[in-house]
Amino acid sequence: MNPERWQQASRILEIALERQPERRAAYLDEVCANDAELRREVESLLAASAQAGSLLDSPAMAMAAPLFVHDSVKMVLGQSIGRYKILTALGTGGMGVVYLAYDTRLGRKIALKLLSTHFTTDKDRLLRFEQEAHAASTLSHPNICMIHEVGETEDARHFIAMEYIDGVTLRQHMTEARMKLSEVLDVAVQVASGLAASHEVGVVHRDIKPENIMLRHDGYVKVLDFGLAKLTEQPTSDVTTPAGVRVSTDIGVVMGTSGYMSPEQTRGLPVDARTDIWSLGVVLYEMVTGGAPFEGATKSDVIVSVLEREPSSLICHLPEVPAELQRIVSKALCKEREGRYEVVKEMLLELKSLKQELEFEARLQRPEQPELSSDEIGNAEVNVEAAHNIGTQTKETQTARTTLSTEAEKSSLQPRNRLRWFAFVALSLAILAVIGIAVYLLAIRSEAIDSIAVLPFVNVNANPDMEYLSDGITDSLINSLSQVPRLRMIARSSVFRYKGKEVDPQTVGRELSVRAILLGRVTQHGDNLSISAELVDARDNTRIWGEEYSRRLSDVLQVQEEISREISDKLRLKLTGEEQKLVAKRYTENVEAYQLYLKGRFYSNKKNEESLKRGVDYFQQAIDKDPNYALAYTGLADSYSTLGSIFLSALPPREAMVKTKLAAQKAVDLDDTLAEAHTSLAEQKFRGDWDWSGAEREFKRALALNPNYTRAHEQYSQYLVAMGRFEESFAECKRAQALDPVSPRANMELGFAYYFAGRYDQAIEEYQRALELDPNFLNAHWLLGFAYANKSMFEQASAESRKAVELSGHGPGALGGLGSVYAIAGRRDEAQQVIAELKELAKQRYVSPYSVAAIYALLGDKDAAFEWLEKAYSDGAYGILFLKSTPEWDNLRSEPRFQDIMRRVGLQQ
Amino acid sequence: MTGSTPSPHEITRLLIDWSNGSQDALAHLSPLVYEELCRLAHRYMSRERPGHTLQTTAVVHEAYLRLIDQKHVQWQNRAHFFAIAAQMMRRILITHAQSHAYAKRGGGALKVPLDEAAILSPTRAGELIALDEALQSLAVIDVRRSQVVELRFFGGLSNEEIAEVLKVSPNTVTRDWNVAKAWLYREMNKEHDDES
Repeated sequence: MNPERWQQASRILEIALERQPERRAAYLDEVCANDAELRREVESLLAASAQAGSLLDSPAMAMAAPLFVHDSVKMVLGQSIGRYKILTALGTGGMGVVYLAYDTRLGRKIALKLLSTHFTTDKDRLLRFEQEAHAASTLSHPNICMIHEVGETEDARHFIAMEYIDGVTLRQHMTEARMKLSEVLDVAVQVASGLAASHEVGVVHRDIKPENIMLRHDGYVKVLDFGLAKLTEQPTSDVTTPAGVRVSTDIGVVMGTSGYMSPEQTRGLPVDARTDIWSLGVVLYEMVTGGAPFEGATKSDVIVSVLEREPSSLICHLPEVPAELQRIVSKALCKEREGRYEVVKEMLLELKSLKQELEFEARLQRPEQPELSSDEIGNAEVNVEAAHNIGTQTKETQTARTTLSTEAEKSSLQPRNRLRWFAFVALSLAILAVIGIAVYLLAIRSEAIDSIAVLPFVNVNANPDMEYLSDGITDSLINSLSQVPRLRMIARSSVFRYKGKEVDPQTVGRELSVRAILLGRVTQHGDNLSISAELVDARDNTRIWGEEYSRRLSDVLQVQEEISREISDKLRLKLTGEEQKLVAKRYTENVEAYQLYLKGRFYSNKKNEESLKRGVDYFQQAIDKDPNYALAYTGLADSYSTLGSIFLSALPPREAMVKTKLAAQKAVDLDDTLAEAHTSLAEQKFRGDWDWSGAEREFKRALALNPNYTRAHEQYSQYLVAMGRFEESFAECKRAQALDPVSPRANMELGFAYYFAGRYDQAIEEYQRALELDPNFLNAHWLLGFAYANKSMFEQASAESRKAVELSGHGPGALGGLGSVYAIAGRRDEAQQVIAELKELAKQRYVSPYSVAAIYALLGDKDAAFEWLEKAYSDGAYGILFLKSTPEWDNLRSEPRFQDIMRRVGLQQ
Repeated sequence: MTGSTPSPHEITRLLIDWSNGSQDALAHLSPLVYEELCRLAHRYMSRERPGHTLQTTAVVHEAYLRLIDQKHVQWQNRAHFFAIAAQMMRRILITHAQSHAYAKRGGGALKVPLDEAAILSPTRAGELIALDEALQSLAVIDVRRSQVVELRFFGGLSNEEIAEVLKVSPNTVTRDWNVAKAWLYREMNKEHDDES
């Protein structure tokens, strides 16, 4: 509609809208008398207006503020505060934003809390905070988060530089699972130890709560923010509130969470160390029951509860709770501080002795403890699932703790817990983000990690239907990490030999000569997926990094990206923006398509006819779901190409190549930056179009895009063999081998190149190596047969060829090989018999005429040889490609008919 | 931490210039307002407790108080300031909505403590994008009505404030709003029909 027309329509609409609905028609009759189109337009707008209802009623601006926060965090990244370079935001706390920063002077990472100016405008308060913080900074205890420095920035913002703790907060830990009693006591004992040490030097924490307690992965518990509560505390009665300072009753009391404050603190009375005892009691209560003792719908309700109510006893929540623990909690939660432990040390001793007692009992009982019944396991899964539904962010693996306890397994989630989860989701997310970023600068290692092997992720459920997923995630990780420049990635085939085996990372590291090993597990519960990954230093088996991701099955794409990005960050490789994009490149946004693609890769990697066809099927389905999924097209192209090989002869090569071409070209059209796509296209130009220069261009493009793409090296090496450029071919094979050191495939390719170069001994050696790695490697047996035959080792040759025939289920490719071996060995009758068999087989299925031609050539039957070679030529058999170098035709090379074919193929001698 | 920012006096000058129609002043002002909004939102967030909703209005208002020298402006300039904020908010919302498909990627060095996905639900993000597109189409045929929607929906301005910014009467704003809403509703639902 043009603006003039719209002005006209909108004017009429405005007036119509101001009239009573029943009078509008008459009005329209009047003004649109001669213009039916205008009338339709206005009527349609009137209808829209009636339906629009609440559209746009709630301004979007409410959502804008959190996004501004989001953007603001990015703004400070990379900036420096004094000697601290800000790397990333870890989270927001009650007093300011906490960043992960790098201390450039001491070369370590620290947590930097930049205090909100809101807290530092009151000079008195600031002074008291500084005194307290300085006192706290003298604390040195394994259970206290060390304060390195309290300082001020150039623009007068106050900051605290403190020990960076790689772990999760107790809050987050509690939201994930109910804690086991032994774990509760362990945490309580450590917190009490930290408090005892600080109380001894006169520092009271004042804000003990689960958010201020960090659980480090090695089992250490650290208490954060000693004395910082001073800063947020309401000035006590002796300090008058300066005019202008915004102290609303709501914010007033303490910035902490009301539920953890002692009654005296809640009432604004002076506090002493016993306030921490109370708070620890609250935390202890919550760890046991999963819910806070003092709750209420509003803050005032909570305060009333703290001041007046007795919490329900622990036994109501957990029948097996020891009476002694109830006594400890009750004593800590005595409303009058005189009734509490006098010093936290006393509480610590009691907690310790209870812990020892329970441990002793557990030791006594352990031998009789029955296995979990399936019922209980079922319950545990419900727990896990519920947790996954809510906590969609990353979840750190608990190495030092068991996440699921028997208690947790027995109790199902209570609605209250769910609410708590929601309430703390924001906070948890913040802390969770820590973990992701923790990765960024973890242990400062002396050397950067330059090589890595991703071992096949373990399919924990052992459900064969999910195997595509565990394998697929592994594949995707290999794929995206192989995009990391200067990182040597071990290719798929080398790592998959470890599949299903118990491995020792150190051994694997030695075998593959890599610096780091990535191990992982995939567990599925219904629609929930749990993926854990661990990066291990292969030199000493130490864990560099580990993380657990709990997601919906539909989020699998995202997890894969996260893992690969975090690992590459972890590896301290400085990626450019472009490179980062490559690593995190997402090839499809359609999760179903991705899963189908994974299934496709899973099957097509098996490289037998049936699996390849299944692979094709899955790739096709993936494309149906996402018609722009370039990678799925390359999967399709590669599968077709392999199906057309002489060895499989599952499809006539021309047909295979047409299909390959369509898919490969489409892949390139969709994503010109995809090495896989250019490799597929190169392969097609090489095998199908005999476009030698075009093929080479594509190979080079692919390798420039991703020098770590093994298939490109392998296929390029074959191309170079066909061209008779053997030295270059060896080099390509060796590159493939470096990427894929224990891959039978890489050895086979090298053997293949040696074979055509006439270096049979070396070829035999490589084939044998391939067979050591995979004794059932069909192609290697097949090719080894040829190599032995050319060395006149006929017995070995026919044994290998027969093995190939047997393994292939009497496939035409292998059979042809056996025929050739017989022919070379002079066993003419047997060779003729194979020819007959091939011809017979050709009635039922495709048989490459090249197989027949080669046997005739070796038998010296020129006419038959050329007749079949012509057929092979018109079929586009792959064997034609290697005519330049293959020894099979050595006796017929001078024949004009041979020369003629060579000319037509474009392979001049 | 902060770069050198123009003084409140300079910023105030820019605002007045823009109120008087200088597009150049607007171009200078926008990034300053954007940065201030981010900074303030950040600071606000830092002192909110979990579960508290960050009030955008409060953030914008404080940005205004901080950036603009109150002694030299009239209330009308405040409306203009909020109009800039509306543009910023539209931009940030749409950018984030558009990247929503990628928002949950997380990971890597730029992980931030807020999950965008938690702020914008996929449905909401989809709506915003559809609205933004419809609004762009509306702007082609009817600039003023599209501005009314931007100011009210993205900026939270009252009809009186919008009237001031657009130099029309508040009644016109009300009528514009009703017409624009009908048009947008139809436009947004038309696209839905096409897809299905």
